Amino acid sequence: MTAAPLLDVRNLKKSYSIGRSGLFSKRSLKVLHDVSFSVAPGEVLGLVGESGSGKSTIGRAILRLIESQSDVMRFDGQDLNSISPVRMRSLRKQMQIIFQDPYASLDPRKTIRAVLSEALDAHGLHKGAARVPRLIELVTLVGLDPSFLDRRPHEFSGGQRQRIGIARALAVEPSFIVCDEAVSALDVSIQAQVLNLLADLRAKTGVSLMFISHDLSVVRYISDRVMVLYLGRVMEVGPADQVHFSPKHPYTAALVSAEPSLHRENRRIRLTGEIPSPLVLPSGCIFRSRCPYAQPACAETVPPLQTVGDQHQSACLRTDIL
Amino acid sequence: MMSVRNFPKRMILPSLFLAALIIIPFAAPLITADDPVKIAVRYRLAAPDLEHWLGRDEFGRDRLARVLYGGQVSLTVAFVATTIACIIGTLFGLVGAYFRGPSEFVTSRLSDIVLCFPPILLALLVVTLFGPGSVTLVAVLSVLYFPTFARITFSEALRVTSLDFVEASRALGTPSYRIVLGTVLPNIAGPLSVQYSLTAAAAITIESGLSFLGLGVVPPAPSWGQMIRGARQFMNQDPLGIMIPCAALVLTIYAINFFCDRLRDTLDPKGTSGSSMDEVSKPKSRANAPTIKDPDVVAVINNLRLETAHFGTPAVIEDVSLTLRANQCTALVGESGSGKSLSSLALMGLLPGAIRQVGGTLQLRRKSDEVVDLGFLDARRLEDIRGNDIAMIFQEPMTSLNPIHKISDQMIEAITAHRPMSKSDARAHAIALLKRVGMNDAERRIDSYPDQMSGGMRQRVMIGMALSCEPRLLIADEPTTALDVTIQAEIIELLQTLRQDQGNGLSLLFISHNLGVVADIADRVAVMYSGLIVEEGPAAQILRDPHHPYTRALIESMPSSHEELNSARGDRLPAISGTPPLPSARPSGCTFRDRCPIALPACAHIRPALYPSADGERAVRCLRAPEAPAGVMNHQTEAA
Repeated sequence: MTAAPLLDVRNLKKSYSIGRSGLFSKRSLKVLHDVSFSVAPGEVLGLVGESGSGKSTIGRAILRLIESQSDVMRFDGQDLNSISPVRMRSLRKQMQIIFQDPYASLDPRKTIRAVLSEALDAHGLHKGAARVPRLIELVTLVGLDPSFLDRRPHEFSGGQRQRIGIARALAVEPSFIVCDEAVSALDVSIQAQVLNLLADLRAKTGVSLMFISHDLSVVRYISDRVMVLYLGRVMEVGPADQVHFSPKHPYTAALVSAEPSLHRENRRIRLTGEIPSPLVLPSGCIFRSRCPYAQPACAETVPPLQTVGDQHQSACLRTDIL
Repeated sequence: MMSVRNFPKRMILPSLFLAALIIIPFAAPLITADDPVKIAVRYRLAAPDLEHWLGRDEFGRDRLARVLYGGQVSLTVAFVATTIACIIGTLFGLVGAYFRGPSEFVTSRLSDIVLCFPPILLALLVVTLFGPGSVTLVAVLSVLYFPTFARITFSEALRVTSLDFVEASRALGTPSYRIVLGTVLPNIAGPLSVQYSLTAAAAITIESGLSFLGLGVVPPAPSWGQMIRGARQFMNQDPLGIMIPCAALVLTIYAINFFCDRLRDTLDPKGTSGSSMDEVSKPKSRANAPTIKDPDVVAVINNLRLETAHFGTPAVIEDVSLTLRANQCTALVGESGSGKSLSSLALMGLLPGAIRQVGGTLQLRRKSDEVVDLGFLDARRLEDIRGNDIAMIFQEPMTSLNPIHKISDQMIEAITAHRPMSKSDARAHAIALLKRVGMNDAERRIDSYPDQMSGGMRQRVMIGMALSCEPRLLIADEPTTALDVTIQAEIIELLQTLRQDQGNGLSLLFISHNLGVVADIADRVAVMYSGLIVEEGPAAQILRDPHHPYTRALIESMPSSHEELNSARGDRLPAISGTPPLPSARPSGCTFRDRCPIALPACAHIRPALYPSADGERAVRCLRAPEAPAGVMNHQTEAA
């Protein structure tokens, strides 16, 4: 983490307006509360959290696919908050996304050649005679046969489609890819193939990844650092193994313990109650309504991220418990 | 868009029909030499003869000529107006949907305003103001119909725009106009072309209506509406006069609608197999009379074989045998396409029409201790069993609950379907069930709608409903896959408690791809691969010490099996190479051999049977497993 970060985000906020409560005042739904993080070149940052945690929103906000507010959002030295639409379009060459659903993320009417060409055309890359070798290189890179180029998505299995999605993201040689639940829809055996592919690509091209998933063991395997989100707030962030094997936040501990495993004994930490509605969040620590260790003090202040170890931070007042 | 070679067969007839109806009027000079406007009063209302096939009208004009030339006018007006409306409407809709904001407002409000007017009144108004004539008609019809196109384009484009592949194009930096024209438009072409045909048909009717009222085409120019108007006065003396233009109208509109219907089916990728989907299939031959001797056994699937209805296609399920016991949880594990869900649907008698049971038995011990073979029951007896003796819960509770009815109504309906009970008793029973599945404040929350509940709560409701008639067998098809891990753990725990509490010894068939969840809940595990059970036995044994290479590979490819591996250090997960074969492309011999790390040449020749272990507790379908009988490989290789 000595090098300048590739991506630096400070106090990212996102809210949706959901109708009006009075004549003039708009009600808004806050889905991200002051999320700050950075990604170093070549680093894989894992984002975990349950539905509603805002993890996908973060990925889309960085790619400017949705509007958001932040104090700082810098990518490769450029300020994304003040960037012009034209500059942003050329910057898209450097930041890409891989989607969860391998069926929805490919246009059913386009051949693989057209899908990959669109990516190259958008930035005027590999024109003319250089096009075909590049297309072949791309499909080979993700482990597909070049003869597949003229087929349409419906001729492929889920795993193959996901590889095509990865090839599309790689076509423009990005330095940063958001993988939004990129392996969640795949069967276990195919998931392992795609995870290996991503790990190889990272070793080969030095690309940085933001790996978003609800599956903790997948995130732990692929990530250098892991950030745990709950209802749009960062609960814990730190090196992957540390967060997974010695979590410092009760929410992370509960998540890890809830994960079904073949080898560990069932020692699940029970959470009480349901995830609160984002419209009526608890005061103070938002996790306190389900936290087994909550105290009266937790209702009063929003716990700040405190350093609990090397590069390891946790947002919990009760540093005494874990 | 479509080359001649792959022109769909079902479109040939309607296309020819429609083309004929469009071409014939424009070929009028070739068909008849008569002038449609030449008056010959002497021959008024003359009957058909060899020269004038359809006779003459009230002014002695040739009817054939008039109906053909009239068709030219009617069709031109209709198609020109529809084309203009389609282009303008589509542009409005696309701009509104893709760019949102002010353009969305303009699109939707403008079309709302036009849609407020009854079409025929608006047309009357415009024609009265600007005078009748073909040009006015085209203008009126375009204005009338563009909002429909704008609406359809808008809603369809909105749907397509929210799909990931459009987002991917945006993330790639593709310019907006290229996304709209190159990606969004082709994906909404299906509904648009159907709307085009429908609108053309409607435009023909309106054109005729206006001409009939004297507000359309100006006499003496022929049009079908004009012809009806003229013939109306002589309807009693000469019914043929009114029937000819009417027949022309009916035929044209029928041709267009016929074309639309087929077009919609053709463009819809899912609509290929048509209406046969709802039939419940039946096995060909009756097997032996059902017998389950062991009173502890709730259901037995024996050598189940399922095939698709197409002749000559291979079996989707080759051989599945399972014994489901009371108080036991059996997990059916496998990847997508392995046939695990089909096996459970067969138990429910809910196989899709395209799939037939061609072999094996599905025996169930009912609550009354009567043993039935589910494959041979008629629909009514199956209905009586479903929900009563067997219940099922699905992956996504939201799709199984009706969003417009309260939970209470849906639960009461489910309860009273199988139990004669008053509504208030059923409600009390429903509340008790909800409490049993762990819903706090059930008295109040029973009156909420499904979308007011979280995914975990909805799944609890589904479980409560499934238990309402105290079934002997509960089938849970990936019940926690759509849920968050903390909620998943709660649901698994709930299923565990219910299984222990249920007085009559509930048997649970748990279908999942997640081995971790299976380890938590199952007593026995059956692993499926490519339509076969490849390994079966007590969960603890199978998961700790798998004997089939597929089971072993599945376990090893899970990242959670390798807590010491870390991709940042360059560690790789042991993945299974390749993909599961389609039923039509299964390899000879062992279906897993292409992907198997320990396959031998013999595996290509012998399709292994399910070999039981010495103690009979487990069985595995692999030649190299310790259970495989000695010498099977040598013996059969020689034979092959």
